[in-house]
Amino acid sequence: MRWAILAALAMGLLLFALYPMVATGYGIQFMLQLFMWVALAQSWNLISGLTGYVSFGHVAFFGTGAYAAAILVTKQAWHWVPASLMGGVAAVILALIIGYPCLRLKGPYFAIAMLGLNEVMRVLVSYFEGLTGGGSGLSLPTLHASRQIYYAMGIAALAVTAVAYSIITSRVGLRFMTIREDEIAAEALGIDTARYKLYAFLLSAFMPGVVGGLYARDQGYIEPISVFPLLTTVTMIVMALFGGKGTVWGPVLGAASLFLLQEMIWARFLYLHQVLFGAIIVVVVLLMPKGILGILQERYRLPRTI
Amino acid sequence: MVGQVIISGLLAGALYSMVALGLALIYGVMRVINIAHGTILMLGAYTTFWWFRLLGINPFVSLLVSIPLLFLFGMFLQRTLVARVVKAPELSSLLLTFGISIALVNLAQLAFTSDVRSVEFLTGAFLVGPFAVSKSRLIAFAFAVVITLLAFWFLQKTKLGKAIRATSQSSDVAMVCGINVQRIHLYSFGIASALAAAGGSLVAVIVAIQPEMGQVYTFKSFLVIVLGGAGNYPGALLGGMLLGLVEQLSSLFLTTQVSEAVAYVLLVLVLLLRPTGLLGGRQT
Repeated sequence: MRWAILAALAMGLLLFALYPMVATGYGIQFMLQLFMWVALAQSWNLISGLTGYVSFGHVAFFGTGAYAAAILVTKQAWHWVPASLMGGVAAVILALIIGYPCLRLKGPYFAIAMLGLNEVMRVLVSYFEGLTGGGSGLSLPTLHASRQIYYAMGIAALAVTAVAYSIITSRVGLRFMTIREDEIAAEALGIDTARYKLYAFLLSAFMPGVVGGLYARDQGYIEPISVFPLLTTVTMIVMALFGGKGTVWGPVLGAASLFLLQEMIWARFLYLHQVLFGAIIVVVVLLMPKGILGILQERYRLPRTI
Repeated sequence: MVGQVIISGLLAGALYSMVALGLALIYGVMRVINIAHGTILMLGAYTTFWWFRLLGINPFVSLLVSIPLLFLFGMFLQRTLVARVVKAPELSSLLLTFGISIALVNLAQLAFTSDVRSVEFLTGAFLVGPFAVSKSRLIAFAFAVVITLLAFWFLQKTKLGKAIRATSQSSDVAMVCGINVQRIHLYSFGIASALAAAGGSLVAVIVAIQPEMGQVYTFKSFLVIVLGGAGNYPGALLGGMLLGLVEQLSSLFLTTQVSEAVAYVLLVLVLLLRPTGLLGGRQT
């Protein structure tokens, strides 16, 4: 069984690695964005799915990474790979500054503080015009690197999923989940909750920063409203929730299925598609708050670690 | 200059207080953070706009339409959707109300288009000594004060108001005392929506109307209830006035964009230093 799963995973990886040889430009863009959503949903899962602290402004890390990388590429002429990694580092630094005080807040207060953080970041980015181009945005030099960015996004999605797997199957993961179930009990068991919450938060901030940098390179142009929208935060949350938060494969499944649905059906209608998205959110929250995997786990006694 | 700023701050603050009181009511009674609050304000603004445009009705008279209309709409939302997530973790209610909000905003885009509209009514200003006070803002302020006072009188003196405050202190004890908590939730959401609708009708004569105008008010209302202490109703009044003043004062020294950030920095500071709000605790 174990070998079969590993073999299937290896086959899947091989297929994804060979895909750009046969794909069209649109196909590569499509998969690249799918990988991006997997990485974002999985990152959100690391803090909110595991510790239960709802980050309602996670796109702040994405936007910060996008701007950090874009500035390095345009002003310092860095290559986009190290620039995107620095985008991740910038996001982690922001998470450290904001997480240390904010993670003491409980429940809805933490969610509101994160929402506020995202607004502050957007305003700050618009303000420092010399560095960021302000409201008129930042254009990166032209470069045709869809294939390379495809691989980079794929590695990002794979890496964050591997991290989620190794955490969920480890003692650290148990500590995170104990905090989610009952923080006071976790403290009584001797878990340094402040420290573990911060670890989860920093871990969850890194990949959105990297992916933000890759996104900036792929799009070639970013502006404050395109990299700091509340809608992006909600989209990654709904993806993780739809697949099953707190699981390894839930965010992957959720991101893939919702993104497919979005591209295939809705993207054709400008406003109606958002109305439908609103309706989907309502349906997921009301009818399947545990997500696809959560329901399957309950019904078929699947292992907690899928 | 400072006097002028204080006047504008108070004028804006009264509107914030009134709208945020609605959000505080929903949070106090149900522990739900309603992201669709500003969306309902937007619907109130459009109600006023269309009555003014199509029938030529005085925007302040159209309060009589927008308030009951959105009171009923709020009760409908509570009855059909929000009631199902009252006991769920905060993620559910945040997402659910966001879903409602995005659906309504985009329906409004479809129905009303995203053109920026305005209600041209009572332009110009009164000159009082050295200060200029915009006519429309002053009248909107007066209405906001009256409506807020009415809401407080209702909460303090009427039986239903007392039941709402009791539910907000402890919904279990309220239930034991024979209060129908489900019904209180229903009325609270209705009243909160009515307050947002009143806010919408009043800002319609001041700011530009478009489907996405509500989000700003949702955020500002969060700020106000955090400043005043979530679920603390007098706190919402204080918080609204304070937000109005801080915004106007910071716009003296900083650009408009940054003065927006000042408000959020204030939010995070208050959350960290006094998470129970400036007035502390939940006193209803």
